[in-house]
Amino acid sequence: MEAENQKYWKVRDKMTTQTWAILLVVIATLVGAFGPILLKKASARKLSKISSLIKNYYLFGGVALYALGTLLFIPALKGGDLSILYPFVSLSYIWVSLLSVKFLGEKMNKYKWVGILLIILGVTFIGFGS
Amino acid sequence: MSLMFFITFLTSTAQIFWKFGSEKLSFDLLALITNWQIIAGILIYAVAGTLMIISFRGGDVSVLYPIVATSYIWVSILSIYFLNEAMNIFKWLGVFIIFSGIALIGYGSRESKILEGAG
Repeated sequence: MEAENQKYWKVRDKMTTQTWAILLVVIATLVGAFGPILLKKASARKLSKISSLIKNYYLFGGVALYALGTLLFIPALKGGDLSILYPFVSLSYIWVSLLSVKFLGEKMNKYKWVGILLIILGVTFIGFGS
Repeated sequence: MSLMFFITFLTSTAQIFWKFGSEKLSFDLLALITNWQIIAGILIYAVAGTLMIISFRGGDVSVLYPIVATSYIWVSILSIYFLNEAMNIFKWLGVFIIFSGIALIGYGSRESKILEGAG
């Protein structure tokens, strides 16, 4: 029982979430957020013909950036608790909303702004809890 | 709709695999391609992504976002059981505030279709 406890605390000790890990998750969400933007651009083109599909650079770019974002997230997990780091992924909703305004001409509205503020508030709480 | 919950549960499970896999992550290529937890996580995630695109293309994000956002709840619960991580009141509050934030963004984008979703 004592040994079990010691082992447990050792694990907890090691798992204090590192700043670099949080930063890497933030970078990963920024990179990954360009994925849906490019995919949206891709979807505006003809997707039914193979020949136009393989020339649809938006499609490949979008998938590649989304994948890159995900792959950057994995090494970040080495630097902290999943229950701390995963909620930071929600920042991607903020980036996608803002990038949609810049690159897709979409409009912000009060729901989206309040949503963005709530995500920032939520992530701040997660930070407090770590 | 229940399929959507299942997909979200899949992506949450992938996070647990990645967390396990990340513990033995190194710059050794052989170790990387034999890291079965990372590979399993990627496969689960890919299956979930494909299912999502096939079954919910044209679905409204105001419905989709809140369901996808439950992943923050699932990952918290799975982290307790499989990773021995500790939750506290701040973390739970954070998770539910994030959930409502994503749901609101979904509501604010309700004319938008799934392909623009943040996944």
